[in-house]
Amino acid sequence: MHADDIRRIAAWLAATDIGLLELRGPGTALRLRQDGGDVAVEEITEAAQPALVVQAPSVGVFLHRHPLRTNDLAPPGSTVAAGQVLGLLQTGPLLLPVTAPADAVVHELRVAHGTAVGYGTPLVALLPSNPN
Amino acid sequence: MIELLSTSALATVQDLGREGALRWGVGTAGAMDPLALAAGNILLGNADDAAAIEVPVFPFRVRFAADCDFALTGADVDARLDGRAVLPWTAAQACAGQELVLGLPHRGATWPASRAYLCLAGGVDVPAVLGSRSTQLRGAFGGLEGRPLRQGDALRAGAAPNEGFVEGLGLVPPALALPQQRDGLPALRVLPAAEYLAYTEASRAAFWAEPWKITAQSDRYGYRLEGRPLEAVATIEMRSHGIVPGVIQVPPGGQPIVQMRDAQPSGGYPKLGTVIEADLWRLGQAPIGSRVRFIECDWDAALAALDEMQHWLAEARRWVGLHRAR
Repeated sequence: MHADDIRRIAAWLAATDIGLLELRGPGTALRLRQDGGDVAVEEITEAAQPALVVQAPSVGVFLHRHPLRTNDLAPPGSTVAAGQVLGLLQTGPLLLPVTAPADAVVHELRVAHGTAVGYGTPLVALLPSNPN
Repeated sequence: MIELLSTSALATVQDLGREGALRWGVGTAGAMDPLALAAGNILLGNADDAAAIEVPVFPFRVRFAADCDFALTGADVDARLDGRAVLPWTAAQACAGQELVLGLPHRGATWPASRAYLCLAGGVDVPAVLGSRSTQLRGAFGGLEGRPLRQGDALRAGAAPNEGFVEGLGLVPPALALPQQRDGLPALRVLPAAEYLAYTEASRAAFWAEPWKITAQSDRYGYRLEGRPLEAVATIEMRSHGIVPGVIQVPPGGQPIVQMRDAQPSGGYPKLGTVIEADLWRLGQAPIGSRVRFIECDWDAALAALDEMQHWLAEARRWVGLHRAR
């Protein structure tokens, strides 16, 4: 993206009631925040962005561990295989598995143990496992 | 079809039990934790009377000779299917050739339990005898040839429900949903029985107030408990009479025996009380060496407890049904 392009987009943004705009191009990602006509531009650092975020497949209470156990299913830093259970969603008496879509390393759990979540809530951030 | 790889003894085929045969002197047999068995069948969409394998000794290993959906309930035994963890109280899918290993029950877990149930989609296919597939060990019939399973045994699954299976679908164990404790120990509700008042007031008070240890002489036939000996006001002599699982007998030594699912249908010891039907599963899962407490209860409370258990099962069936229908 050229600096002139960004200036032009910032000017357009200032004329709207949009508060936040993310721009993604090859090699760059920018976040534009507008507050009463003033537009601030900041760079989004991609390094901290995990490759994959697992979302809630249903509504329920997100559990880091099985109710019979005291240890978490997939604590940050643990290596998980595709299909492995990362956490559970409890709805009524049911426990639904939240599984890893691919081999990965758990980066962080985005929601605390025992939190009620809606469909699509980001639950677990994964990083690609080291091919070595 | 599954094949037993382990030599561990005392695993048996059980369903909910052989009701209605006591008049012929045939005990009920059936799962020591019928709630766990029922939950496994619900997860698989099986009929309520489907039979499963009750496993009391670990490790326990089976090989699936054909693709088979299964559910594991009861004690958390750190199960692994070809090395991949299978969570307790969940349904999972096995492919032909895969090996399932049930390890030692977690004792420090939130629910110390001693028996696991391996349920197969379609149920374990053995002939029903007197209306049940449960193993009647005393009479040597039912289950697989009327005996405990042994290495090399092959068990077939019945016709499986052909759709709706959900990999990893699980239930919150009723021990957590319907907890019952006294001073941190599992507690069982008891109806006083015919000879209750034949024991001293101090003995009766101690029965309710003190913990009872489950001794090593405890099995599917009965649980021999250890605690402050129960003293009768006078020597009691009785003729043999009909008894059912849950009856608490007191032999002359004063250490009570709770009759369990393989109890013989008659006995001559005096009866102090009866563990209510709705709580017998809690005792069936209590590990040897652990301690339990007794809570006095009346007929209405016993029926209400049974309603509460049926309600849990109905809710589990409804929620699983909604999910399997997707």
